[in-house]
Amino acid sequence: MRKDKVYILGGYQTDFARNWARENKHISAMMREAYEGASYFTKIEPAQIDAAFIANLAAELFCTQAHLNSFVIDFNPAFSSLPTCRFEAACASGSVAALAAIAYIQAEIYDLILLIGVEQMKTVDPAKGGDFLGTAAWYEKECAGIKFPFPKLFGKLGDEYDKRFGLDDKYLAKIAEINYKNARKNPNAQTRNWFMNLEHANTLGDYNTPVSGRIKVTDCSQITDGAVGIFLASEKFTQEYAKRQNINIDKIPAMLGWGHTTASIEFAKKVADSADSKYVLPVTRKAILEAFKSANIKDCWQLDVIETHDCFTTSEYMAIDHFGLTEPGQSYKAIEQGVIEINGKLPINPSGGLIGCGHPVGATGTRQLLDAYKQVTQTAGDYQVPGAKKAATLNIGGTATTNVCFIVGTK
Amino acid sequence: MHKSIKKVAVLGASGTVGSLTGGILAQENLQVYFLSRTFNGAEKGLAKAIAQARSEIISKNIICGDYNQHLKKALKDADWVIEAVAENLEIKRELYKRIEKFLKPDTIISSTTSSLPLDALAQGRTELFRKNFLSTHFYNPPGKMLACEIAATDRTEPHLFDFMKNFLKTKLHREVIPVKNIAGFAGNRVAFLLFSKITELVTEYGAEMTDYLIGPYTGRLMPPLATLDLVGLDIHKAIIQNLNANTSDELHKGFILPGYINKMIDNGLLGNKTKAGFYKKLEGERLSYYDPHSGQYTPAVKPHIGFVEHAKNLIHLGMYQQAFDVIKTATGREAEIVRDILCTYISYAYNRIGEVTDHQMGIEGIDKVMSAGYHWAPPSLIVNLLGGKNEVVKMLQQKGLKVPEKFYSTKKPILQLLNSGKYFVAR
Repeated sequence: MRKDKVYILGGYQTDFARNWARENKHISAMMREAYEGASYFTKIEPAQIDAAFIANLAAELFCTQAHLNSFVIDFNPAFSSLPTCRFEAACASGSVAALAAIAYIQAEIYDLILLIGVEQMKTVDPAKGGDFLGTAAWYEKECAGIKFPFPKLFGKLGDEYDKRFGLDDKYLAKIAEINYKNARKNPNAQTRNWFMNLEHANTLGDYNTPVSGRIKVTDCSQITDGAVGIFLASEKFTQEYAKRQNINIDKIPAMLGWGHTTASIEFAKKVADSADSKYVLPVTRKAILEAFKSANIKDCWQLDVIETHDCFTTSEYMAIDHFGLTEPGQSYKAIEQGVIEINGKLPINPSGGLIGCGHPVGATGTRQLLDAYKQVTQTAGDYQVPGAKKAATLNIGGTATTNVCFIVGTK
Repeated sequence: MHKSIKKVAVLGASGTVGSLTGGILAQENLQVYFLSRTFNGAEKGLAKAIAQARSEIISKNIICGDYNQHLKKALKDADWVIEAVAENLEIKRELYKRIEKFLKPDTIISSTTSSLPLDALAQGRTELFRKNFLSTHFYNPPGKMLACEIAATDRTEPHLFDFMKNFLKTKLHREVIPVKNIAGFAGNRVAFLLFSKITELVTEYGAEMTDYLIGPYTGRLMPPLATLDLVGLDIHKAIIQNLNANTSDELHKGFILPGYINKMIDNGLLGNKTKAGFYKKLEGERLSYYDPHSGQYTPAVKPHIGFVEHAKNLIHLGMYQQAFDVIKTATGREAEIVRDILCTYISYAYNRIGEVTDHQMGIEGIDKVMSAGYHWAPPSLIVNLLGGKNEVVKMLQQKGLKVPEKFYSTKKPILQLLNSGKYFVAR
């Protein structure tokens, strides 16, 4: 396996509070803004780009539009005949597109790849959207005829924790509260102006209604329209780029390591398969350990910040022990001790995560990578974790079916 | 010296402004008294605040009361009293007189008015009251529109102005725009000059065509006449009359009320609140428009003009600069009208710098209030999209509009362009 470094040169996130259907915009308008923004912030010229990769789950369903990669060609005359393609692995689409980009760069096929993650979801009502998202699980077995299949499945994740270790829902409420609180500091977060406090997250009411099982409205990530563009580059390109931009290459974040695993798509089978494991989702744990190993990291305490996949509070609860912040089943301790808060020992989701910042499915993996980039370059503004040098992302597709963990860092 | 705000009393808490503003305070864990003429009214306000927060939890921070029974109790500990009662000088003055005796020496009193003269409102009150008195003009709904203009009188304690600016920004997460104590402040002054000019077009082009030409694709969330239906034509009239009486500038004659609007008001066609204004829904959600000549409603015909459709298509694809290139170069009377409105917006806004906001703020204050208060594309963005200062000066000269002495450069023009797509709706 080649070991040439792959760098992340920066990028741009659209404002996740926007409703692009209300603005009567085509999904390509969002992609265009992501490209133009990424290009502006990185000072990358269009002619320097070797290929464009697009990550997206379900534009066919939400927007009646497939073949999104082809839209890039019209963004700039220099893109005429540019190689492009689209990647899909449910909510992990952004991360698998990044993995593919890394492979192309390490194989010395391309030096600079534009990666855009995008999803437009507010085109349909929540029930229909929930049904579309069911295609990320085993639709026929797990979702057909169920109003909100994913809250049900991630409710079961909480139930499994409860069965094995015990789970008090007040810790899930705390996870929600922290993510919303962090999102208030993020100018691109969907919920930055929404009301939230711990009591609200802990209380069922006319607005915080049960969605499915133990999952309430405040336990859920958002239905979001959003796109994120980032640039991934070879060592050769980055050296020239650093020289031209007069930047110390040591200050440019590299993809230090990654792990990529896939579990059985059916949630019940995942749980049955993990009966003998200390971890509820050992395949997810494996992706994290692979990432640690490839980045030469001993454990999570060598990280400064984590951006994890909190599609529901239960999935963040899972991430806490799977990253190794606590022993399996003891995630509540890290929550109780304030470890995961923005000023804690290992902050999780200073951006607000999927619950606070938003979850445009195909864009989430790229958004996490961009936030990792911002953290380790000290450019995250009000949600900066001071002095962060190493960041991890965990992006899961389906019910932790496709798992991708990246470690991003500077010297 | 004002040190902190923990307890607040809202007067006029049954109304939209009072209840939703009070709700924002309760969301930030301040203790808020919702006061209204009747207890029932205050409770109605509480329901609105809960719906805005989408949480019943905030009701723990809200106590409802009425003026007769609870004024003394609510005001004796209040650090801040927000007055949001009807836009009527006498009603407000009467209420101030009534509350004065209950206030602590350092209770801050702010009115949510942007149109009634602050000095006249505070006339007859003690020096202490006047030192603690200012305007905090929230935009509606405050859960979504974050702009808040703040204005002081000559007698307001200077420290209080700075304290409130900081409080509104850090505690209430407002986009704070310090404005001069002048009728309409910045936002309504600029917006209603434009509204006034647009209502004049209706006589010649009809309501449907007017809203089509100056539609959301020109940099606003809603078409202008639909916005006036939301505001209410009676309110529109009051604001125009107030701006006419209390301001003076190069376009002052623009603050006029076309005769047909008076007729509409006389006939109870006030807008959304009477289910008929410029727009009226027919059966099956079909729209009809008010015809200023016949006084009747005519069914929508859905205009179709080449350059408008072309610009909308470009906006649909996120090509905002290209859309403005089309608007800038299109020929014909309709294109001239669109450019008239855009150029008037620029000229009027830039020429108000120094009059409604401090010179040192440049265009930033007006930019902020138009975007965070009205969700209109800020004037400096329109300047950029029309090709920048030199191009715009030529356009203003051609249209006989006053060229501002200085075009303050925007700090981050390209960034602003990147984030600006949200102001342009492809409709």
